[in-house]
Amino acid sequence: MAAPILPPPLPDPQFVLRGTQSAVHSLHFCRGAQGQGHPLLLSGSLSGLVHIWSLQTRRALTTLDGHRGQCVTWLQTLPHGHQLLSQGRDLRLCLWDLAEGRNAVVDSVRLESMGFCRSTVLAGAQPRWMLAMPGRGNDEVEILEMPSKTSVCTLKPEADAKLGMPMCLKLWQADSSPRPRLLAGYEDGSVVLWDVSEGKVCSRVTCHTEPVMGLDFDSQKARGVSGSAEKALAVWSLDEQQSLKACGTHEVTNPGIADVTIRPDRKLLATAGWDHRVRIFHWRTMKPLAVLDFHTATVYCVAFADDGLLASGSGDQRISVWSLYQRT
Amino acid sequence: MAVFDTPQEAFGVLRPVCVQLTKTQTVENVEHLQAQLRAVSDSALQELQQYVLFPLRFTLKTPGPKRERLVQSVVECLTFVLSSTCVKEQELLQELFSELSACLYSPNSPKPAAISEELKLAVTRGLSTLMHAAYGDIILTFYEPCILPRLGFAVSLLLDLAEQEKSKQVKMAALQCLQVLLLQCDCQDHPRSLDEREQQQLGDLFASFLPGISTALTRVITGDFKQGHSIVVSSLRLFYKTVGLIMADEQLGRISKVQAKPAVEQRVAELMIHRAAEWVKNAGDKLTILIKKITECVSVHPHWKVRLELVELVKTLLLKCSQSLVESAGPLLKALVGLVNDESPEVQAQCDKVLRHFADQKVVVGNRAFADILSENLYSLATSLPRLMNSQDDQGKFSTLSLLLGYLKLLGPKVNFILNSVAHLQRLSKALIQVLELDVAGIKVVEERRWNSDDLSASPAASAAEPWNQIQRRYFRFFTDERIFLLLRQICQLLGFYGNLYLLVDHFMELYRESVVYRKQASMIVNELVAGAAGLEVEDLHKNHIRTSPEELREIVKSILEEYMSQENWYLVTCIEAEEMEEELMMKQSGLQAVTAGAHTCQVTSFPALSKPSPTICSMNSNVWQICIQLEGIGHFAYALGKDFRLLLMSALYPVLEKAGDQTLLISQAATNAMMDICHACGYESLQHLINQNSDYLVNGISLNLRHLAQHPHTPKVLEVMLRNSDASLLPLVTDVVQDVLATLDQFYDKRATSFVGVLHALLAALARWFPDTRQLQEQSFGKVGSHLSQRPATLEKGFENTTAEDIEQFLLNYLKEKDVADGNVSDFDNEEEEPSVPPEVESDMRPDVEPPLPVQIQIAKNVMERCIHLLSDKNLKIRLKVLDVLDLCVVVLHCHKNQLLPLAHRAWPSLVHRLTNDDPLAVLRAFKVLRTLGGKCGDFLRSRFCKDVLPKLAGSLVTQAPVSTRAGPVYSHTLAFKLQLAVLQGLGPLCESLDLGEGDLNKVADACLIYLSAKQPVKLQEAARSVFLHLMKVDPDSTWLLLNELYCPEQFAPPHPSLCPVQLQGSPGQQNPYTANVLRLLKELQ
Repeated sequence: MAAPILPPPLPDPQFVLRGTQSAVHSLHFCRGAQGQGHPLLLSGSLSGLVHIWSLQTRRALTTLDGHRGQCVTWLQTLPHGHQLLSQGRDLRLCLWDLAEGRNAVVDSVRLESMGFCRSTVLAGAQPRWMLAMPGRGNDEVEILEMPSKTSVCTLKPEADAKLGMPMCLKLWQADSSPRPRLLAGYEDGSVVLWDVSEGKVCSRVTCHTEPVMGLDFDSQKARGVSGSAEKALAVWSLDEQQSLKACGTHEVTNPGIADVTIRPDRKLLATAGWDHRVRIFHWRTMKPLAVLDFHTATVYCVAFADDGLLASGSGDQRISVWSLYQRT
Repeated sequence: MAVFDTPQEAFGVLRPVCVQLTKTQTVENVEHLQAQLRAVSDSALQELQQYVLFPLRFTLKTPGPKRERLVQSVVECLTFVLSSTCVKEQELLQELFSELSACLYSPNSPKPAAISEELKLAVTRGLSTLMHAAYGDIILTFYEPCILPRLGFAVSLLLDLAEQEKSKQVKMAALQCLQVLLLQCDCQDHPRSLDEREQQQLGDLFASFLPGISTALTRVITGDFKQGHSIVVSSLRLFYKTVGLIMADEQLGRISKVQAKPAVEQRVAELMIHRAAEWVKNAGDKLTILIKKITECVSVHPHWKVRLELVELVKTLLLKCSQSLVESAGPLLKALVGLVNDESPEVQAQCDKVLRHFADQKVVVGNRAFADILSENLYSLATSLPRLMNSQDDQGKFSTLSLLLGYLKLLGPKVNFILNSVAHLQRLSKALIQVLELDVAGIKVVEERRWNSDDLSASPAASAAEPWNQIQRRYFRFFTDERIFLLLRQICQLLGFYGNLYLLVDHFMELYRESVVYRKQASMIVNELVAGAAGLEVEDLHKNHIRTSPEELREIVKSILEEYMSQENWYLVTCIEAEEMEEELMMKQSGLQAVTAGAHTCQVTSFPALSKPSPTICSMNSNVWQICIQLEGIGHFAYALGKDFRLLLMSALYPVLEKAGDQTLLISQAATNAMMDICHACGYESLQHLINQNSDYLVNGISLNLRHLAQHPHTPKVLEVMLRNSDASLLPLVTDVVQDVLATLDQFYDKRATSFVGVLHALLAALARWFPDTRQLQEQSFGKVGSHLSQRPATLEKGFENTTAEDIEQFLLNYLKEKDVADGNVSDFDNEEEEPSVPPEVESDMRPDVEPPLPVQIQIAKNVMERCIHLLSDKNLKIRLKVLDVLDLCVVVLHCHKNQLLPLAHRAWPSLVHRLTNDDPLAVLRAFKVLRTLGGKCGDFLRSRFCKDVLPKLAGSLVTQAPVSTRAGPVYSHTLAFKLQLAVLQGLGPLCESLDLGEGDLNKVADACLIYLSAKQPVKLQEAARSVFLHLMKVDPDSTWLLLNELYCPEQFAPPHPSLCPVQLQGSPGQQNPYTANVLRLLKELQ
């Protein structure tokens, strides 16, 4: 059953999920309900539906309809309880309760920005968690404490920074420090590190000439990667003084990277390409390992499961699931 | 009813008779006494017992030679008395016993006396009755050591009788008597059962007789089969009852080491036996020999009752004497186990019962010794099994395997001891593999082709209740008896049920991988192992046996499936064409041509093989069987897992479906059966349901395999089958996969077009089926409202009847006006009328500049039609033909969307014209069909093109062919030329109508078809030509009428008004010509 591990000519996905009936814009793996250990895959589509797929039967278990037909751009489950956050272009962030087969919106947050920027959360074992989302102002990022929805701060760059709109966000917290940080990619191609508690910019690095479309950060290695509308993939690092430094860029054949994701074990990096392809890199060396050529339209998102399974969602309405280098 | 109830009365009656008998001992007197006795009640007789017995005994004791007849009647009378009374005195019992037994022997020899059979019979019966008459307490005192000599004598006499006597009756009586004597009688009115101490006492006493009884009985039992089964049955019963008593573990356990000195005289004491350990061992050894003889002889006894008794023997001895007869356990178990599959259901049932009983009592499993013996037996059987399978005939194999089965049943979970020994597992598997070898020499296997391309319609409900048990007929090299195969399957199932499934599957899959020689057998075995492990059809003798858990089973099945369906085990060469993949793809097409072509090539290649099957044929046969067995296994697995198997469908369904479309009949059958099994096991109503419900899995496989078409050339076939069996709900999925198909087709236009065209055909057929044209249906239901034909004749008729000058004038005026209109001088008034017919705006809320998105099916059809335009001019005729069919369907699906259809039709036109005018007749035929459809769906659009590009050629070919068909014989109707003529003639009419051709073109058509109205043409062509004219009449009745009348005019036309001059038509009335008949028929239609 396991797909052959990338035989030279044309690697195949392990399987393909069909039935979203519209382009897939967001993907998220989560563990299934306790007791039945089968992992689930959540997908958000252009038509505003969220599909919950069982990876065991490879079929959709339920469909959530909460964004009034507007594209679902971001999905995230919270570690405590069976709660799902979904961000839609109907300017709403919905909080779903999925426990015990329920699927109801229990809360929602109004978004002020029409942009494409996906939100991000920082959630631990505590009941309180932090949400970062694009703010009211064009260039602002809003930080909320959840579930109370109290605003913590608004991150607004200085007027002369000319960063443009935030395009992608990543909240994180170093093991050593209790202060949450936010990494944000901006329209002008720069990546900025914000200190959330002080509400000020720590560092900024301009690594792209085009808007940053996606970024991911490996807090252990203090290294991150970002992709933009151009042909290059930028890797940057964070030093002791909390300043970002560009480490290098990696050319890909065709321009446009919609999403980048580092595998939870920090060994692989996957990118979603506008050229319909998913590219796999060795995260430490950035050596290109494979080009997964399956989709027939733009790939909008890639996601890794805890066990290493990779899923990619595309404009061709398919989600392909790949089993890559499982052994390593 | 007794007449004399009181002793006094009875005495009065009996006294004279008794006195008389004492005085003169004659038969008559004895009979007289017996007659009187009948009238005496039992209680009275009991009182007078001694008195009555006296004269009888006196008679017996009287010295001197006695007439046998007298003795016999005395004994009978005595028996009568004893049967109604009971003996209450010890002495009397002993004396009577001695006196009766004395009748049997001659004083001088220990052998039975040479007396008549009747007497022997009477005496043995007398003895039985005597023992029965003995009163409860005294019977035990009778069996004191001192009786030993006399008893022994009687026993040996009776044994002699049983063995030597000719008469069956006597033998039986003797055996019964022995049974009574040994207090083992099984009749109802026997005294109470004995307690332990008493049993012990009897056992001690009878031990002396054991050698004699057992050897004599063994001789009787193993004697000629012809002596009758009842004797053997009784002997067997006596044997096990006696042995069971004397050798009972229960008694032997209580025997003291030292023999107590019996208080009897020396002579008797010598006869006594002390059943000490040593004696037991000795006796056991000797009995083992006898038991072995008996079991060997009796287990093949032709009469089932004998075998049934053998089961009883085994049961009794194993239950009672498991320790003392431990040496015999082997043969006994063997005998039992061998009868498990007896042909008699009674024996089988009893055997089963006993086995179950043993299992319940843990006789075998709880008893180490037995388990060891059984294991030992199984070990040695496993060791010799390969040799036996090699050397025995079917019958021998059958009994050997029955034995194996029995051991497995009996051992139950303990069978793992043997399986855990590598050497023995290997022996066992070697034997199984060897005997299961298939005969793959026949060439039928490869040759048989599937004729029907979509036979998936069968519903699972139609098959029997236990369909997984139905198996394709196999031919084995080493046996022909079906029962042996059944046995082998049962054996494997039992192994799977009790054995360690991981171990077994592992072992056999190892063999599967090891060599192609073992592969088929190994997979057969694995299939049954899994079925057995799931407990299908296995009756569990051993409760609390822990079965393989469903999860484990699923994991095992999953790994087996992986192996079965791996590239190298699933895609085997099964036909010659497959070797040249390119060739095969050319040949492969559903439909008749493909089938004949396939069969043809195969036959050609197999001709030389007919004389001597070549290794290729053999290996292909072997491959066919291999696949069939694996498919069958999948069915088994489905049953084994039940609904759990649904999860495996994502990987298993696609390959099975692929095989369902295989050309080889056996494979496609096996695959269909496997799918049925899956339906049953997973709870799907039908194959369609199965396919429909799991289309997502199929599509997944299809789309991934399309990416590697070179390795998976059959992928399009699977899609075809899927499309044929699914419904409109799958449209989204289909849309998805069609993208892949078209993309792949675009990559492989040159190489793999054939298989793709098949898919496209199935796809369009499915679309046409899923989205039937609702408008058309409505039209059909309403019927054509009013045609020109029904209106016109009315005016004509009226005109003929009573025509006035005014009428003619009006007619002419109307005519002129119509002509004016036709010439284009249309008044404004008319124009205004037409205006409202402009179609109203469809959707108000639609933005005007954006067209509504096309329905998915229309998009698909459009995409497909574009490909068809490319493929229309393919080099391969078969592809062209198929593409024309697809094109036809495309037009049907698209016809409601003229905006899409017309541009495509425009692009397809040149190529289509080329097919119509310049191609193989077959292609012309199909192209014409497309043309008809196209004409029907977008008439106006085609009119001028048709008239310009096609009509002249068609008309021309009709004209040139006409003389040919006039002259042709009856065979002509089978030629392609004929079919073409027919098709064109049949099609032209509707075409003319739907294209609404102008007058000039209609004339061309009419001219070309007129010739075919000749009676010299074949009937079918005449019919078709008539149909053309019928259509022409609808379009332009007047000119058709004229044309027909020109050909043949049935009557003279008188002018309606004298002012008009008479008409003279060319076809003169009355003058017969070849067209007369058809013209007349047509004209009749016109009126």
